[in-house]
Amino acid sequence: MTKPAVVLIGGDKGGVGKTTVARTLLDYFVRQQLRVRAFDTEVPRGTLKRFHPDVTDVVDINHVPDQMRIFDTVNSTDATVSLIDVRAGLLSPTLHALRNIGFIDAAKKGDITFVLFHILGPSIASLDEIVDTAAYLGDAKYFMVKNFINNTYFFEWDEATHAAYFKRIPGAVGITIPKLVEMAAEQVDLASVPFATFIANKKQSGAAASYSFVLRGYVRHWLETISAEYDRVRLIDILEANESSRPPIGRPRPIIKVAET
Amino acid sequence: MGPRLDAAKISRGQAHHVMTDKTTPLYVVCSPCRHVGKTLVSRLLTEFHVVNDRPVAAFDLADEGPQLADYLPEVTTIADISDTHGQMAFFDRLIADDVGARIIDLDRRVFNNFFTVAQKIRFFEEARHRSIEPLILFITDPDPKSAKAYAVLRNQLSQASLLPVRNQIEAADVPYGDAPSKVNRAPTSLDIPLLGFPLRALMDRQSFSFSQLWRGSPTDLPVSANHELSCWVECIFFQFRLLELLLGCA
Repeated sequence: MTKPAVVLIGGDKGGVGKTTVARTLLDYFVRQQLRVRAFDTEVPRGTLKRFHPDVTDVVDINHVPDQMRIFDTVNSTDATVSLIDVRAGLLSPTLHALRNIGFIDAAKKGDITFVLFHILGPSIASLDEIVDTAAYLGDAKYFMVKNFINNTYFFEWDEATHAAYFKRIPGAVGITIPKLVEMAAEQVDLASVPFATFIANKKQSGAAASYSFVLRGYVRHWLETISAEYDRVRLIDILEANESSRPPIGRPRPIIKVAET
Repeated sequence: MGPRLDAAKISRGQAHHVMTDKTTPLYVVCSPCRHVGKTLVSRLLTEFHVVNDRPVAAFDLADEGPQLADYLPEVTTIADISDTHGQMAFFDRLIADDVGARIIDLDRRVFNNFFTVAQKIRFFEEARHRSIEPLILFITDPDPKSAKAYAVLRNQLSQASLLPVRNQIEAADVPYGDAPSKVNRAPTSLDIPLLGFPLRALMDRQSFSFSQLWRGSPTDLPVSANHELSCWVECIFFQFRLLELLLGCA
């Protein structure tokens, strides 16, 4: 049986494209036929919910009943993946809360798959964020995302500084989100639909739309590039980790005889 | 959807003929080099459709004159694909339903950008999905960058046909693709035959019209010159007709 997975998308800085990355992930999971539910922590209005209303609930991640709504149902929900788009400034408090409620320990024990997409800003402060974040991670899969969609230039990152920080988190993997043509990003935003729906030239209702073919082409190319990044880091393999594939703690591993040829 | 056509396939006789009433051609007349006769071929193609009373839309992606829009302003749209706005106006219009045959006169300066954007947005795939059959008419030239660009297009274009154009007016014969087969009737290239200098000078006048010549409008040319030019046009129009049939756009 597949373990439940929690995917957290966050970054302490605002405007680095957390929700954009969350949207690409939801499109990717749907394409991979993974059952997914999403939580949008931009209370009260929500941003992610505007694009993916069918699978998204708006929650206050600081509010205990809402924490219960997410984490107490991780095992009982039909969804394999629970995706949480953590709003700016709440990544560290959220990780702190997860540690307090025992979620991080559950991930360490292997009961839950925990994946963090840390969306980095261009400044050195983002590198300090990495160190703060790493303290909470335990066995979580940690993806550091450089998001170029908002015209971000990682100007303060020289290789030596970068390497020194990355070395502190040996399992960390980098992901690059390329820039999307501005007009295409604006049109998808105006349409308030998932990227995949825009590409398919449909409205949120499923009715046919009349989006520009050129813009749809740009969005498709961009989304395919990002999907290739998710494939490269074997995201689906991580999320579909099988409970039974993990050897039980304290018991000898079964010996499998391989027939000689 | 029409067949994919390229010189090698035609020479081996492998092109499939799919005739549908709805299929319309899209010609991209191009070269990465200057002064190879792109605008001349575009004019001839456009006027071929005019003389046959078929709807045609020409697109001029040149930024220096004399350009297609100078010769055929009534059917030509000047396009600029340097930004997203221009790309939307151009490519979205190209795949619109009501245009008829499309002819693009692609300037060497936008050669790379056009094919990069087209590949990125899967333009040729979408065109074929809409029963628009793209044919890249690549005008050959002795310049090494021409051969290199041809090879790149041939390797990368899977959804558009590619045919070399040997324009003997502007350049010596340059081999591309497979050698023409005498046994096979299908073309391995489009050939623009040589023409005497006085007639070339006449054609270059913006007031000159191939369709008027074709329809027998009186010219101030001597009879022999008029005959030579008419034969030259007929030879080229015959090849256009053959291409239409091969593309399934007749």
